[in-house]
Amino acid sequence: MNALMRECKILVRSPADAVQSLLFVVMVVTLFPLAISPDPSVLAGIAAGLIWVVALLAALLAAERGIQADFADGVLEQMVLGNTPLWLLCLIKAFAHWLSCGLPLLLITPLLGTMLALEALEIYWMLASLALGLPVLSLFCTLGAMLTVGLDRSSVLLPLLIAPFLIPTLILGTQWVQSGGQSFYGYMLAALLSLSVVTLPLATGVAVRIAVSR
Amino acid sequence: MLQVNALSCHRQGEWLFKALDFSVSGGELLEIRGDNGAGKTTLFKILAGLFDDFDGEVKWDLPGPPLFVGHRFGLNAQLSPAENLSFLMALNQGASSREDLEAALERFNLADVVDQPCRNLSEGQRKRVALSRLQLTDARVWLLDEAFSALDAKGRQVLTELCQDQIAQGGAVIFSSHQPVEGFGLTKVLALGKSL
Repeated sequence: MNALMRECKILVRSPADAVQSLLFVVMVVTLFPLAISPDPSVLAGIAAGLIWVVALLAALLAAERGIQADFADGVLEQMVLGNTPLWLLCLIKAFAHWLSCGLPLLLITPLLGTMLALEALEIYWMLASLALGLPVLSLFCTLGAMLTVGLDRSSVLLPLLIAPFLIPTLILGTQWVQSGGQSFYGYMLAALLSLSVVTLPLATGVAVRIAVSR
Repeated sequence: MLQVNALSCHRQGEWLFKALDFSVSGGELLEIRGDNGAGKTTLFKILAGLFDDFDGEVKWDLPGPPLFVGHRFGLNAQLSPAENLSFLMALNQGASSREDLEAALERFNLADVVDQPCRNLSEGQRKRVALSRLQLTDARVWLLDEAFSALDAKGRQVLTELCQDQIAQGGAVIFSSHQPVEGFGLTKVLALGKSL
């Protein structure tokens, strides 16, 4: 619980982090209609894919946030040495990523959807897909950041390593919206989320142990 | 408490140390000596359990993990000393009240900065924050890597007293230092490096 409070405090003390993710998303979504076409029928066709791609990139950009500092400060070392389960601490790290990157995006999605001429029902499915999908992105990004932290050129390695694992989420998320909420995609996304929540923090814990022995 | 048998470790093809045998029991001080690059920090990481690419045997006989204060203090720059300490204590399931935290920081002359973000603190102050944990922990063994450097005279004196208390209570302290530490009685010494 103390670890959870710590992440919240760090986020509140440096709100620029959350604003940065939000600004990135809003900027890209604003630039698209200017560059391609302001025609609502064109925009509505690409809207779901666009928001999902931007969400994925924003998640990757935010992946090293906090974890780089925790490595340099020696907090990861103390996490390994303590007797609190590492998977729990890693789950909290992933939650912090979601809090600073996923949650702001989720809150602004109705606005983005309206800007891209989505209809109310489509925005509803967009929100549902992001609600299930963004935590999966956060869990994978945390794993990737722990695997590469402390390595030379980690910021190049991280997207290369993790992006392939994010693609299934992207496909399921966009298909769910574009198919008008076919339950198959929703169930698959929910299954992916449950699987990730259970397995990825364990893998991330192993990655932390490797990181501190460097 | 600690038994090390035939411990060897090499990095980049060179032996850092070979076939080290030593033991530490309750009430003992062990000083690890060696030049820069002799492997002191690596040895501390091995003892703490952070680094396992070695040959030989490290056997701990302790109820809980030892407490390790190294070159990196585990303090987040955005958080205050009190918040950082309380998090570090919670990692070991140790709850510490606000009064305990303040008293521990006070003893290291940090009463003024209890609620300042750590990024405003100097290196020596942050080291003293990290060392304040020693008063809150119930770990039986302390691993202090270069704990005496970057400390002022008062800080060194407080740290020396804390170590003496720990010994008197049957705990053990393993430390490394570049300057000789005054005030310690009988100290075991383990020398690392080419001089061996």
